[in-house]
Amino acid sequence: MKQFEYTIKDPIGLHARPAGMLAKQCKNYAPSVVSVCKGEKSADCTRLMAVMALGIKCGDTVVFRVENGDEEDTAASLKEYCENNL
Amino acid sequence: MFFNRKSKFTPEPGTLYAITGGRTVKLENVNDDVFSQKILGDGIAFYSDDGIVCAPCDGKVGMIAETGHAIGITTADGAEIIIHIGIDTAEQGGKGFKTYIKEGESVSAGQKLVAFDRKMLTDKGYDLVIPLLISDAETYAEIAVCAEKSVKVKEPVVRYSKEKSPGKEEK
Repeated sequence: MKQFEYTIKDPIGLHARPAGMLAKQCKNYAPSVVSVCKGEKSADCTRLMAVMALGIKCGDTVVFRVENGDEEDTAASLKEYCENNL
Repeated sequence: MFFNRKSKFTPEPGTLYAITGGRTVKLENVNDDVFSQKILGDGIAFYSDDGIVCAPCDGKVGMIAETGHAIGITTADGAEIIIHIGIDTAEQGGKGFKTYIKEGESVSAGQKLVAFDRKMLTDKGYDLVIPLLISDAETYAEIAVCAEKSVKVKEPVVRYSKEKSPGKEEK
């Protein structure tokens, strides 16, 4: 398992549009499974409603967790994606 | 005429009903890539005549945005539905939206979920199209939507099925 922290910069937070784009991106990482954790709660990033239910806002620090597949590669790519898009 | 319309209405599984009185718009014609390219899911969109959004099916509220402009419902048969009121309306931070339900609450088809201030939001220049999406669309072999037309709440607009309907599978 690989994980990293990220602080959301998108002004509307991880909501419909950014959450949808993230879900699309994370589907490309299969068999790696990516989850996003806010405090005690976490959601599979490909499950839009679960991600949106976390109510992640701009300025929130979340943890992205990568399991299975090439974890190293996926985490690196995801980190880059976050920095460019979230 | 002989029956009370309300008690007569029984939602069918695999069906989503119109969430507002108004007209339907194909997702392809929504002026935002994230919807028209079905990135958030497959379904249909609406323009509302009265600014009232109702549940498309029986189910449970899985998510309500703090801003009131987006709602997620898990249907009684397990589909994940997202309703998104207007494009970029999240910027309003909840202004102009009033929600009538709570997260975790059970709702029935046609129940009022949200009211929004059409005039105020239109005056601010927002496109108030309302996509109704099945966000786990890849789970379904077939999602059929109705044509662009005028609709009333509880009119069937989307059917989804894990199996292809007979006759369509092969050429």
